[in-house]
Amino acid sequence: MNEVPPGQDVPDDADDLYRRASALDESRPSELVRRRVLGHAAQLAAERAAQNAANRTWRRPAIFGTLAAAALAGLLITPRFFTPSVPPGLPPTAALQPPAALPPAAPLPPATVSRNQEAPAPAASEQRANRIPEPAAEFAAKDSPAKMQNMAAARSRAAASDASQAGALAQPMAPLAAAGRSSDPAAELRRAAEIGDVPEMQTLLDKQPLIEARDENGRTALMLAALHGQSRAVDVLLAHGADPNAADGQGTTPLQAAVAGNQQAIVAALRRAGAR
Amino acid sequence: MTVADESDETLMMRYGRGDAAAFDLLYRRHEMRIWRYLERNVGNRATADELMQEVWFAVARDAPRYEPSARFTTWLFTIAHNRMIDSVRMSRRQTSLETLGYETESVVEQLTSDPSAGPLAAAVARDQAGALVRAFEKLPGEQREAFLLQVEGDLSVEEIAAITDSSFETTKSRLRYARTKLRELLKEHL
Repeated sequence: MNEVPPGQDVPDDADDLYRRASALDESRPSELVRRRVLGHAAQLAAERAAQNAANRTWRRPAIFGTLAAAALAGLLITPRFFTPSVPPGLPPTAALQPPAALPPAAPLPPATVSRNQEAPAPAASEQRANRIPEPAAEFAAKDSPAKMQNMAAARSRAAASDASQAGALAQPMAPLAAAGRSSDPAAELRRAAEIGDVPEMQTLLDKQPLIEARDENGRTALMLAALHGQSRAVDVLLAHGADPNAADGQGTTPLQAAVAGNQQAIVAALRRAGAR
Repeated sequence: MTVADESDETLMMRYGRGDAAAFDLLYRRHEMRIWRYLERNVGNRATADELMQEVWFAVARDAPRYEPSARFTTWLFTIAHNRMIDSVRMSRRQTSLETLGYETESVVEQLTSDPSAGPLAAAVARDQAGALVRAFEKLPGEQREAFLLQVEGDLSVEEIAAITDSSFETTKSRLRYARTKLRELLKEHL
């Protein structure tokens, strides 16, 4: 029996015979099918082009809006970085006047204080307050002890002011940050699997999300990991009992996706897990 | 580089964004390969035409979701294989035939009751081409499909194994047996 190499890169005489016979075969798909297919494809293309154009007109104001919001936020935040560090000759209270646009420093409610303690912003302001002495200390050393005391008091009040402003900023930021994350652990798991974020996957898997939950294309977390060549994510999902044969909406299995993407390690892992 | 030189994957991405010309080019490139794969597997021109339309409609519909990490021809022939299997299932329900071990094989058995006078044979004008049809009809369905996926789809053994839900070794054997038998059958006529 004639052995044929599996890669079949070298033309086989059976292939040659097939092609010669095939060239003589005059059968063709019907013209009607061709017209229907191309007509349908052209119609879908026109719809997509129109949709893309509509998205572009919608995106422009959205981009400008985002830029404007970023600029406004910059205007609000930047003055805090230029707050004078008690220039010599000025009374400490003058240097510590908050910018007009910001609310005056007030005693903080306990909840805000607590958030400030957790947030990195106050720490940064403390660092800034601590950084001040380096150039200022030499300068201050030449001044009187009274001025030194004034500057120390100014620094501590500046830190408190920064903390209160950061707290005020942190309040509206918190829900925005939360909004960026999906509340669906299964969706988060799929996203983490897709980008190969194994530590995040481990955290999410501890919450026991539905590991076989699917996205709008019927793809499981394992399928997405296989599609995107995330070998470690595939291992983690298989170790947690993900179904290696869960096909997507098109009937494509993770193994087929891995083979198509030439992901040998994933193919091997899926086969070991019983993928067919 | 002209549009005609662009890869299948690039053309698919372009079509997904609304470029109809990219689809036309893709269709022209692969029309006959898919047609031969379908027609020689199902052995019936009308069914092959129906499947042809379904396959390319699916390609057009799913273009925006196409992942360029997968080779276009692998994706295309996977769709064609799946559509063929679906067709067998529907045909089986309609004809209430007994369940057969391998679905693709059953299509031919259901649709070509008399191989020598089948519709595909009637569509082939010349004797040598007729020999090809008859040779294919003598091949078991699994071997026929594996061979067609390789010669028409240019797919590797691993890709064929994944598409047909078979092991690597089984697929390799099917290809070997298919070639041996085709060689014997076609040498008499060509």
